[in-house]
Amino acid sequence: MAKPLIVARDLSIIYNQGKSNEFKALSDVNTDIFEGEYIILFGPSGCGKSTLMYSIQGSLPPGEGTLLVKGDDVYSYPPAERVYFQRHVMGIIFQQFNLIMSLSVLDNVALPQIFCNGDKQKRERRAQSLLDRFGVGHVSHKLPAMLSGGQQQRVSVSRSMVNDPKILLADEPTGNLDSVSTQQVMDKIDEINTFDRRTIIMVSHNAAHLSYAHRVYYLKDGYVLREVVNPQRKQIKPVREGETIVTELEQLARLYPYDSVETWRVKSMVNYLTQDYTFNQINRIERAISLFLQGKVDRHAMVKALVLPYERGGAEVKEKEARRMASVSARMVDHSTDIKRFRARKDNDNIFFTQHKLAERMSDHLSHEYRIKLSKDQRENMTEMIADRVTGVATDVEMNIRLMRGIRTGGLGLSESEADNITRHFEKIIAQGVDVSYKKE
Amino acid sequence: MRIQDLAQLSTRMFKTNPLRTWLTILGMGVGTGAVVILVGLGFGLQQIILEQIVFGETLLSLGVSSTGAQGLRLTPETVTDFEENPAVLDAAPLARFPALVTYKGLTGNVFVQGVEPPYLRYAGVTTLAGEVFTDEDAGDTTSIILSPATLKLFGIPDEEMEAFIGEKVSIRLLVPAEDGTDNVNEIIIDKEYVVRGVNKEAGVLNAMMMLPELRNYVGIEEYERIQVRVDTNENLPIIENMLIEEGYRVTALSKTVEQASKIFQGIQAVLATFGGIALIVSAIGMFNTMTVTLLERTKEIGIMRTIGASPNDVKYLFVSESIVVGFLGGITGILMGVILGGAVNLFLNILAGQFGGQAVKLFAFPLDFLTFIAVFSAGVGYLTGIFPARRASTLNPLDAIRYE
Repeated sequence: MAKPLIVARDLSIIYNQGKSNEFKALSDVNTDIFEGEYIILFGPSGCGKSTLMYSIQGSLPPGEGTLLVKGDDVYSYPPAERVYFQRHVMGIIFQQFNLIMSLSVLDNVALPQIFCNGDKQKRERRAQSLLDRFGVGHVSHKLPAMLSGGQQQRVSVSRSMVNDPKILLADEPTGNLDSVSTQQVMDKIDEINTFDRRTIIMVSHNAAHLSYAHRVYYLKDGYVLREVVNPQRKQIKPVREGETIVTELEQLARLYPYDSVETWRVKSMVNYLTQDYTFNQINRIERAISLFLQGKVDRHAMVKALVLPYERGGAEVKEKEARRMASVSARMVDHSTDIKRFRARKDNDNIFFTQHKLAERMSDHLSHEYRIKLSKDQRENMTEMIADRVTGVATDVEMNIRLMRGIRTGGLGLSESEADNITRHFEKIIAQGVDVSYKKE
Repeated sequence: MRIQDLAQLSTRMFKTNPLRTWLTILGMGVGTGAVVILVGLGFGLQQIILEQIVFGETLLSLGVSSTGAQGLRLTPETVTDFEENPAVLDAAPLARFPALVTYKGLTGNVFVQGVEPPYLRYAGVTTLAGEVFTDEDAGDTTSIILSPATLKLFGIPDEEMEAFIGEKVSIRLLVPAEDGTDNVNEIIIDKEYVVRGVNKEAGVLNAMMMLPELRNYVGIEEYERIQVRVDTNENLPIIENMLIEEGYRVTALSKTVEQASKIFQGIQAVLATFGGIALIVSAIGMFNTMTVTLLERTKEIGIMRTIGASPNDVKYLFVSESIVVGFLGGITGILMGVILGGAVNLFLNILAGQFGGQAVKLFAFPLDFLTFIAVFSAGVGYLTGIFPARRASTLNPLDAIRYE
């Protein structure tokens, strides 16, 4: 069995030891990190994830326990040798990029080589080739301040790789980046892991990144709560039979990273009791519907995606059911446009359809959907009720009550189950049709 | 870290913070400038004095005269005796006779001194006007040098001294009779001598001519004085003592010069102290700046440490930065001092020219002194940098990187 690259045994780190503000940032951490692994240290701020990373980096000596990197206790080295070790084993990137503003991009990348007496031409060639590789080669002679955040972070990734380190440490590398830059940087880091086969240890609190890692250590209040294996990646850490098994909890951990194990167990149970579909199927159905709602696929494509077997990327829904889902969602989307129109006519009424006409149409649709014959009075009441609900005068609960009221008192006189169904259905349509984006006054 | 990288990294402050850097350099410059100008004044004063009395050969020669007590006489044989000593390069005699000198009908008593050109060099004889005899004038038979007092005798004011050069005087030698009586024979030299120069021997009435010319009229049995040129400085006291033991009276200019030098060293030390105070003030200012720079750079130090800089790299970076600032401060100070001193010199020269005085250089800046100042200011830079540098190198990289 391969030896782990980094071994922590009962590692505790205590800040301000012996003083009144003594603080135990890390307690009894046991980790084994293997060469080539992509590890994410995950947790809320103050959980000790950065502390653990910097301890591995060699800047925070353990208070108790042992920490071995490549089988050596780095902290037993004299400072000069520790520096030598850090130079050649660790590369680091930060949330704040931490480029040196008074040096050009090229010099920033070459800086680690400067400290180890690298030949000027060689190191600049290497720096330039790294910058080219990470897509920022064209700005190598600018100062970092002239670059965007994403560019700066890619420069800093280049810098971390200039000494060709075995381990790349990343302290929330995308914490200050927009989503496009985040994606670029995450892809580059992933490339360093999969293509260059470097070990990555990343500190993060962004759950969206968890799928990149082989394993995720969840930390809270200085303790490692759990270690979660990513079933989507081929594990490097040898798994002893029976010791760890991949369960639905791992999946839930990625879906709901901020919840506790207990909550996941509840979710797992509730899912089984209330739904016919597994979390994986729900995931796929969500994806198909999302594409449909965005208008990227039509009904037929949606049905196809729903019906396709799981292995081929589908949700494995029965065809009849899939068709029903498609037609219901299509109708809902269709009618939700009436809601949109209705709300858009708040100020300028009666161009093509008056609000009243639209409300009548929605009323007809609802009665048709639930096959309820409405008298003239009932229809008028229903139209008024819908107008009230869509303009926001009445809440869903009030609408539900009015549906059950007598006809003379403005209601429809429906049974409770009929009223519930109609309310629920109409609320879904409103959810699709109402515009909740932020509007400037 | 390589030297050229270190140089590149430690001169970034000229780009990132030019104003503060140049102000710090200027502060150091004013301090070192004060030292340069004050010590330069000391050097200048010393030079003014020594230029009057010191010529290379003069310092290495001894003036020998007879005490008369033990019947020691300075004769031509004495001269050859002296010259036989291996440590003696040369011995130049001076013969003296009382004489009457006549200029345009005015006659006065003077001493005519017969010398050879080397004597003038060894004794350090220089002129106020005109020129001295040089080695080429050894066979000169037509010219003469007078003392300023002689000119006074003829009623020539100092202002007309220059104009007097080229005038002609005639001489009658008064030679003691050889019969042992006190009678004096008057030897009339039947020609006129051209005045070629006026020497600086104030208060005495004398006229200098070449010894061979004097010999044409009188036989010289005894010399008044012999200048002995010793080969090296080390031998100077040895020969001096030897001659004193033999019974001669010996005067050495080097003694005087030594004493003068000591006095001026004292003056220089006092001046340097004042300058030093200014330098200390500016060094404290620079130390302060370096400390502030350290605080400002704390984050940068943290970054460098986490990407592979050793504590020593950080230390070198800081120290070299302060050495650069200190050294440039020194250069600035030297420039300021030299320019200011030169300006004062120029001003004094113009002033002297207008009032007819002799131009002097009040400030002097020997090259080794300036070199020393440049090195010294780099040293001050080092000292002001070493403490912040040590602190920078011992910072915990993690605390440093989180410093805002």
